[in-house]
Amino acid sequence: MDKTTMLGLYRDMWMIRAFEQGLEREFEQGNVPGMLHTGLGQEATQAALADQLLATDCFFPDHRCHGINALAQQRHSGDGERIMAELFGKATGVCSGKGGSLHSADPAVGNFGDNAVEGSYMATVLGVALASKLRGEPNVACAIIGDGTVGRGEFHESLNMAAIWQLPVLYACVNNGYAISMPVGQGHASADIVDLARGYGFPCEQVDGNDIVECHEKIGVAIAHIRAGHGPYFVELKTWRWQGIFAGEFRPDAEVKYWREDHDPILMTVDRLIGLGCTSAELDAIEQEARGVIDEWITFAKESPAPDLAKATANVYVNWEVTGA
Amino acid sequence: MTETEKKVRKTSFTKALNDALDLGMDRFPEMFLIGEDIGEMGGDFGVTKKLWAKYGGERVRDTPLSEAAIIGTCVGAAMVGMRPVAEIMFADFLGECYDQIVNNAAKVHYMFDGQFTAPLVIRTACGGGFGGGPHHSQSVEGWFMNVPGIVIVAPSNPTDAKGLLLASIESEDPVLFLEHKALYRVRAEVPDGYYTTPLGQAAVAREGSDVTVVATMRMVPMALAAAEQAAADGISVEVVDLRTIRPYDAETMLGSVSRTGRAVVANEAPRIGGLGAELSARIHEECFSDLLGPVVRVDGLDAPIPFSVPLEHVILPDETDISAAIRTAMEKS
Repeated sequence: MDKTTMLGLYRDMWMIRAFEQGLEREFEQGNVPGMLHTGLGQEATQAALADQLLATDCFFPDHRCHGINALAQQRHSGDGERIMAELFGKATGVCSGKGGSLHSADPAVGNFGDNAVEGSYMATVLGVALASKLRGEPNVACAIIGDGTVGRGEFHESLNMAAIWQLPVLYACVNNGYAISMPVGQGHASADIVDLARGYGFPCEQVDGNDIVECHEKIGVAIAHIRAGHGPYFVELKTWRWQGIFAGEFRPDAEVKYWREDHDPILMTVDRLIGLGCTSAELDAIEQEARGVIDEWITFAKESPAPDLAKATANVYVNWEVTGA
Repeated sequence: MTETEKKVRKTSFTKALNDALDLGMDRFPEMFLIGEDIGEMGGDFGVTKKLWAKYGGERVRDTPLSEAAIIGTCVGAAMVGMRPVAEIMFADFLGECYDQIVNNAAKVHYMFDGQFTAPLVIRTACGGGFGGGPHHSQSVEGWFMNVPGIVIVAPSNPTDAKGLLLASIESEDPVLFLEHKALYRVRAEVPDGYYTTPLGQAAVAREGSDVTVVATMRMVPMALAAAEQAAADGISVEVVDLRTIRPYDAETMLGSVSRTGRAVVANEAPRIGGLGAELSARIHEECFSDLLGPVVRVDGLDAPIPFSVPLEHVILPDETDISAAIRTAMEKS
């Protein structure tokens, strides 16, 4: 990977980390309603996808995908702050505050929205892919899922249907080791999800999800395969989430240290960039710039108005109005 | 609709639906059919007969037994402008794709604030009366009554079935289209060619002045038969065929009850929490001062539907129950 590409991905990873850390801070201060799932620790998976999916493609983000949502919004529409505003439930959000963290979408940038029912869009993604195939468009329909989703029936229905119909689906399975508190090896017949996917007969790859170079390269291969009309592709991205569970950290100290210090996607990229001749000052400036942008987005979100109350009953149906009692 | 200008011929409910699908496929290039055994076999009840041969496997898609994937495929395709029509062989199987209907089809327009629509139709065979047993006989409208965003269409005769299915295909909102199995072989005069019957509008199937019977699907022909009997006893019964269950036509129903002063609501599903409960509550709330007595409900008993035919008869309502309800409505007023 050339230095320019890597620097771009480094900046993107910092945008994600700064976004999530800023959001976490605001959440703790009570400024963000609802629940919070962050993508901290999983930045490489999202940066690698965001860099290679086009606005004409489609992706279904998972619960920890604020980062890719913001990157796609910024890259294709120039208004990443609208993802932040959505998480604050504001009128300026991409869904006017009606979707929030788990339902932020903007089809203009290829973002088809998360679904709070894990695995639900494993079925939905088939339809987007089928439409592309029927229309002869070279678009990729991507489902970004966690390891927990593998337990759902839709996971298997989806892989089977994509296989028999050779649909242009990219399955990006972000295996962060735990479905809330359930370790992946305890919840599934294999801790390596790729083992479960292989039976469906299309290409499956397992990738170090914290190695931005490997993530970017393998996702690139998968996207090229799908765009060329060769059918679905499954990529398992092995990573680890920083966020614990409601009660706090529950994982062994050595595991926490390994992933946060020795195998952190940003620190690993720093080493690589220094090796390519970048200076610490240059890299620090990228981090500071990202944090500055995110602070502006947070200010925008906080200062934005709440949605008009009429929005509460707007767009229930296309053909009927729903009125208050 | 310009029914008077169209040629009319005696057609079965099944053939009327088949004609509607054929006309829709012909008119809308973005429409496709998807479901189990709907291709060369023509569907378990023959509703998609000959369409595979005419439109090919790309647009008439046979699937494995994957109801969630079938409806998910419909939602995703509809989100990008296709117009899918799914067949779920038996309504009892809707549990397999309940999440796709309730959390996706019904909500993508709302939760993303209008950025997507889900113009899809889910056709499914419902209802009992033929010894189908607990998992092939249910009336499921109550499962979906409490879901904002979904349209529930429930025709009672071949003429409406065709027009309502074409209106459902044209609809920008997701439609659950209920086909009562006992009606498939019913024949009636059906106009040739393309026409739509508006969604959300009830029909007055018979005019009367003493009591209103509000009915759906198979309960409509039963209500008409009961009305005929009541007429012999000097009771004039108005029959309102709801046709669309959600959003339903309150105006027609309430207007009729205001005039007659008495109401019977007839629905095959179990009593508690069902359509009958909603209609009865609404009539009591909005027609209280016009009512000469309480609303009388006719519905299925609060039990699953057993296989043995005599037992099934115990559970499901029929025209005798409607006749009894009409008498009760007259006596209690």
